[in-house]
Amino acid sequence: MNRTKTVTPVLPTAGRAGSPQPRRRLPGADHAWASRLLNDRNALLLGLILLAGFVMSLLSPYFLRVDNLLAMTQYGAVLGLLALGQTLVILGGGGGIDLSVGSTMSLSGVVFGLTAVSLGLDPWIAVLVAVVAGVLLGAVNGLLVTVVGVPPLIATLGTLYLYASAALVLAGGVDINGFDRSGFAQLGQSAIAGIPTQVLLILLPAYGVLAFVMHRSRFGREVYQVGSNQLAASLTGVRVARVRTSLYCISGGLAGLASVVMASWLLNAKPTAGTGMELQAITIAVLGGTAITGGVGRVSGTFLALTLVVVLNSGLQLAGVSNTWQIGLLGAVLIASILLQHLLGRARR
Amino acid sequence: MTGNATTLQRLRTMLLPILLIAELIVFSLLSPRFLSGDNFANIAVNAADLALVAAGMTLVILLGGIDVSAGFAVGVSAWFVATLMGSATPAWAVVLLSVTVGLALGALNGALVAAFRVPAIIATLGTAAIFQTLLFALWNRTDVFSAPVASILSGQRVLGVPQVLLVVAVVYAVLHWVLTRRPFGRDLFAIGSNPDAARLAGIRTTRVTFAAYGILGGLVGLAATIYVGRVGVVQASSGNELTLLAIASVVVGGTSILGGEGSILRTLGGLAFIVILQNGIVLAGVPPLWNGLMIGLTIIIAVSVDILATRSTTRETQGSVA
Repeated sequence: MNRTKTVTPVLPTAGRAGSPQPRRRLPGADHAWASRLLNDRNALLLGLILLAGFVMSLLSPYFLRVDNLLAMTQYGAVLGLLALGQTLVILGGGGGIDLSVGSTMSLSGVVFGLTAVSLGLDPWIAVLVAVVAGVLLGAVNGLLVTVVGVPPLIATLGTLYLYASAALVLAGGVDINGFDRSGFAQLGQSAIAGIPTQVLLILLPAYGVLAFVMHRSRFGREVYQVGSNQLAASLTGVRVARVRTSLYCISGGLAGLASVVMASWLLNAKPTAGTGMELQAITIAVLGGTAITGGVGRVSGTFLALTLVVVLNSGLQLAGVSNTWQIGLLGAVLIASILLQHLLGRARR
Repeated sequence: MTGNATTLQRLRTMLLPILLIAELIVFSLLSPRFLSGDNFANIAVNAADLALVAAGMTLVILLGGIDVSAGFAVGVSAWFVATLMGSATPAWAVVLLSVTVGLALGALNGALVAAFRVPAIIATLGTAAIFQTLLFALWNRTDVFSAPVASILSGQRVLGVPQVLLVVAVVYAVLHWVLTRRPFGRDLFAIGSNPDAARLAGIRTTRVTFAAYGILGGLVGLAATIYVGRVGVVQASSGNELTLLAIASVVVGGTSILGGEGSILRTLGGLAFIVILQNGIVLAGVPPLWNGLMIGLTIIIAVSVDILATRSTTRETQGSVA
């Protein structure tokens, strides 16, 4: 008892930070194969999307119809925002994961609903309030992880509980509606040039900005540095805690944005809107090639994985397969994608 | 310096008992019905299945893993229990089958984590989704009602003490003995502290990891036989509520989520804190919607305090060495 108590506080971090991953990819050394694998992965995902689309169109004659493709992307917009945030948090390394995205979305949605309905403010102002709420909820996660030092898994598990329950308490356990003013429904229920508004004006810009930030800006470079080697990053002057906290804030803000998109799509703010969404978000991030250990992955992979999951889900829905079966399939896809990653990694070494 | 460090260390180990006593005092002031033998027997009966899952979860967390699929695994096993009870199967066979089902589900997690090296959180998030679908498919829109499997697995009391407590006590005693006195226990701590060092020291990490998930699975199966007696019905999402509560019991008890440090008795303390909290706030007249809020806050505060205290003690000891 005593032995473990005095020795261990130092050991786990040392063991974890220094053990398996640097052996696999020292900075620079096998960067070539890593990027090749990533390129291959995007090609692989593209192939899978085409295959899935082909199979689904055989299964259901409605699959390729315009209205179905529209409905598909409407659903994908919400999920995509969460998955992009999750990708960033995982990329930041240090065991980074955000289990609370679903609950953050629920709670921001309730904040949106209460601002627009109970306070009677303009829905577009409520949108800003909801996004700010999301950022703040993400900041709580970020500070727990970086300042207090709570492992991300436990910090966000705690806030998963906390935010989900706070959403229910604030909403009194019922849905909030009656915020369809100032053309708010346009965001979730209209299309511009055949593309749903929330995809054209929210998801695609969010993706574009994040892709730019991650691959063309100093912040993006710092995220990859922190994610692949925390110690080296901090020695070169990168402020590790600040970078990671920002990532949780971005994830929270995107969840807030997702809650608003969901609310304008369904014209309803459910206190349980985000329940279970964390699993889907993590699945998509990992399926897209983001290594759970951090530092490896691209938002483009997440985008392709999102497309694949949306195609699969909507195809199954058309084929009359129930929602719960889709959850099980997603779980299987998640595990299979990690196994595949390991096999590919082994084959290339 | 050293004196200061040991004070903090002592404060850290005393924190949970202090919180427990504070909790007892607050709730007995808030509700006259709280402080009675009958209520405590009631709390114990309601927590018995959770206690078994939390015990197994302790092993997995000690080696640096986690299992977020345990709740739905209880649900799947419970479906088999309730269905078999409906066809007049003898109790021993029901228990045997439930434990076997639990073992099989645990073995799947164990294989993914130990043999295929899938990170535990990813593997069990995946299997949680698969078990949820499995339960949904088995349930097939028909709730299965069932009587308790046996009186020892139910809330029936002898001299005011629920019989099921015996099962819980035996499980905790055996696991405590294994963790503190057996090589398997030492191996778990070693792997949790530093998996690479453990492997280099000749510990069969794959086998030990697999076994830990298997044991959790077996306990999940046993918990399911109690769950059915307590709840009386198996539905599409049965058992799910146990997952986070079990993890919360372990970490609130003070077992490190990073692995390598903790004990099964701490889990018992964390469990007591959480189930008494749940019972107390209901008796105090707080709406049940607040339940998750309390538990979420408890997890975050307990873990934060623990980490801050650990950090200052290590800083103190390192300072005195240097």
